[in-house]
Amino acid sequence: MRINIINRIVIFLFLFLGLGILNTEVIQSKRFRELSNKNCIRLLPQKGSRGRILDRNGAIIVDNYLTFDVMVSSYGESEVNKTLSSVAKILDADFGGLKDKFRNSYIAPFMPTTIAKNIDIKKAIALEELKQDLDNIIIQPYPLRRYPYRKLACHAIGYLNEIDRWRLTKLASYGYKTKDIVGFGGIEEKYDYYLHQEEGGLSVEVDHRGRLVSVLGFKPPSNGKDIQLTLDLEIQKIAEESLNGRNGSVIIMEPYSGEIITLASSPSFDPSVFVKKSDSAVVSLLDDSSASLVNRASSGVYPAGSVFKLVVATAALETGKINLSTTFYCPGSTYIGKQEFSCWDTHNLQNLIGAITHSCNIFFYRTGLLVGAQNIYDYALKFGFSHPTAIDLPYEASGFVPSPLWKKVYRLKNWFDGDTANLAIGQGELLVSPLQITRMMAVFANRGTLVKPYIVKAIGGRDITSLRRKAITLSLKESTINYIRQGLRSVVSDAYGTAKVLSDLPVSVAGKTGTAQVGRGQPHGWFVGFFPFQEPKFVICIFLEHGGSGHASSIVAKQIIERMIQEKLI
Amino acid sequence: MRNINLSILIIALLIVCIGILSIYSSNYQKEGGLWQLLYKRQILWVILGLTLFIFISNFNYRRLWDMTYFLYAFVLFLLCLVFILGIVRLGAQRWLRVVWFNVQPSEIAKLVIVIFLAKYFSTKSVNDVSLPISKLGVFRALILPFLFVAIPVGLIIEQPDLGSSAMILLIFITMLYLGGVRLKYIFVFLLMIILCLPILWHFLRDYQKDRLLVFLNPNIDPLGAGYTVIQSKIAIGSGGFFGKGWLKGSQSQLHFLPESHTDFIFATFAEEWGFLGSSVLLLLYYLLVKQGITIACKTSDNFGRLLAFGISFMLGIQVFINIAMNLGLAPVVGLPLPLMSYGGSSIFVTFLSLGVLVNINKTRAIF
Repeated sequence: MRINIINRIVIFLFLFLGLGILNTEVIQSKRFRELSNKNCIRLLPQKGSRGRILDRNGAIIVDNYLTFDVMVSSYGESEVNKTLSSVAKILDADFGGLKDKFRNSYIAPFMPTTIAKNIDIKKAIALEELKQDLDNIIIQPYPLRRYPYRKLACHAIGYLNEIDRWRLTKLASYGYKTKDIVGFGGIEEKYDYYLHQEEGGLSVEVDHRGRLVSVLGFKPPSNGKDIQLTLDLEIQKIAEESLNGRNGSVIIMEPYSGEIITLASSPSFDPSVFVKKSDSAVVSLLDDSSASLVNRASSGVYPAGSVFKLVVATAALETGKINLSTTFYCPGSTYIGKQEFSCWDTHNLQNLIGAITHSCNIFFYRTGLLVGAQNIYDYALKFGFSHPTAIDLPYEASGFVPSPLWKKVYRLKNWFDGDTANLAIGQGELLVSPLQITRMMAVFANRGTLVKPYIVKAIGGRDITSLRRKAITLSLKESTINYIRQGLRSVVSDAYGTAKVLSDLPVSVAGKTGTAQVGRGQPHGWFVGFFPFQEPKFVICIFLEHGGSGHASSIVAKQIIERMIQEKLI
Repeated sequence: MRNINLSILIIALLIVCIGILSIYSSNYQKEGGLWQLLYKRQILWVILGLTLFIFISNFNYRRLWDMTYFLYAFVLFLLCLVFILGIVRLGAQRWLRVVWFNVQPSEIAKLVIVIFLAKYFSTKSVNDVSLPISKLGVFRALILPFLFVAIPVGLIIEQPDLGSSAMILLIFITMLYLGGVRLKYIFVFLLMIILCLPILWHFLRDYQKDRLLVFLNPNIDPLGAGYTVIQSKIAIGSGGFFGKGWLKGSQSQLHFLPESHTDFIFATFAEEWGFLGSSVLLLLYYLLVKQGITIACKTSDNFGRLLAFGISFMLGIQVFINIAMNLGLAPVVGLPLPLMSYGGSSIFVTFLSLGVLVNINKTRAIF
């Protein structure tokens, strides 16, 4: 009887084992197979380097330098200690500190543990030589961004940082992952797809100590494509130095093609603080009340002031409301409706050219009322206001042009003649970006085409300018352009012109100043112009935030042009 | 009768061959000539073991009856010697160095205790037919044999070798049951052991506690004490239905699996030969144990019957605990898989036991 029971127990035990084996080897087999593969296959990532950014002449603005990470395969305490002490000697580091670092970043015995980052090449070579004695040391090259000119053109370039949640949701379908380093702002963001490197790596089979047994596969890392900008490094330098820390922006553009030669915005920042990840520096940058990360040239919008008068003038000439013999009398102030509108001076009787030269408000109040708000609005849109210029930089602002319809719909108020008068001198709700103003001036420089500004010339050595959208011909009358150009030239050349400081330059400049009143603080100062007058090569736009007046901006323009001549850049 | 003897030999040889293949595979990638030699040494042990098997199978098992007390004393002597001269390996003092190989006395102790108990429980019925075991009082049926068992068990626990001592206790309980001791006493004994467990817990070494805790949940310490179990389960599980093929198991070839040629040789085998191979191996073991039980059932001599039962059960329990431990179904205790694991002592003792079995089968006919 007892024997039977023992017999059954034996059968039961073996059946139990059989079921155990069945469960592990057949039912759960897939899970264990995966675990087994993870166990012995390691990926050693190899970083490619991000594409460089070059200026129009091929000079390097941003490139990369190699740093090295030191890792130790974490098996066997005595072996690790031996390695750490040798590494400590080479790195001039404290053995205890290195050991703490090892303990803190230790994950598992099979994962190499990073013990030091950003080692320079000399030390990396010295460590590489240790490898013959210590087989558990791994040196991994790691390219980092280098900014040889520090803050130069920082807004056009942007900076690099770890991808944030918002960008990740946008970019996940393009293969971006968490912890990826991506561009923030500027070219780095807009062209990240071309600039970013493809991570390669080795898939290797390792043993329980994490030592390499055989290489299973290799995918070489591919470097990002170099991007050549239209920026001229020398002129960019001059522009940034001339801004001299004042808040504002300088744009210099080629009038026929729309190539941006200089795009400066101040205050600027040092993109390398994001590379070094010095937290305090990054936080102070993000908390900065003067918003240094904002690209004022394309993302900032401001009241246009007198520079907008050119749009009104064009509208008036094109619609035939005025011609050169039309004159208005400027007594210093005038009533429109019940409200008094003043000019900044008394200009007496003058025609369009005189009005542009002296930037007479009364003339443009009258002209504006003749032309009508709707026409001004239409022409402003024709000149590209109220829409982004579609420059290849991210976060471009579109600005705003008010219209009677808009006021009725959104403000539930009627449009009065006073509003038209305000719009005619570029005040009121009108908001423009310096880039839009630059493009408007280019229309007069190139005689009638609205260009599309761009900043990238070539990607990976391939010229992409031919792929750009074509400029729009505004089909303005030849005479309109001639009259306005005449006015613009006399702004500089006339003895009473608002930008006569520029008259003693060896190159003939034409342009328009603007002093935009703001609710609080000093008015903004504008100067936008082109030179040389006969065959324009550059459109220049200086914007000084709370700069006081257009005169201050004209002086900056003068400094820039002077130095360009000095350094034979014209 | 003859068929049984032959089938025991054939099954044993098949398992041994599987074992040698697995030992070869588990050390295939290891550097150093010593590792490569292991399978050759195992072949040597097997040849010596076979010689022993043939010798013992012609050695009348009744003589063991006469030698019982001498064997018992000899084992106690060896176990004491381990404390004085033993070699410390893997944190335990289990081995005795004899000339040029290491002996593990606890392996021998298992067999000797089976012989001892077989004799103890058969004596009564031979000498005094009127007093069957079932009529014995608690002292003679339980306490006295337990004291005899407790002495070597205590020595083995101290080595420390929890696996072997637990196994001897299991054998003791089985022998009590088969010897015909009253069920009441057996239940009392089991109850005592269960009540003693919390006290015993305090006497365990830290690593033993770890192992037991890890058995309950291997994930509490995946890289420490739970490591072996996890790696062993991964090895077995990743084998799948057909296995990865001989010399192709990544877990054992790349040394993720510790002790892959001794206690965890089943995992090495299962990874490379899959469910198919493991089932065949399990069947072979079952047949081996089954043959032993068949012999026992056919034997009318009480001593021979109990001996055959004890030996079969000892083999069965070892196989069960080892494979269950490989599968993570039992705590990790240092028990080899009979006939598979590398190691002279285990091979010798197993062949010795099988020799005794065969002899019982042969001699029985003469009665």
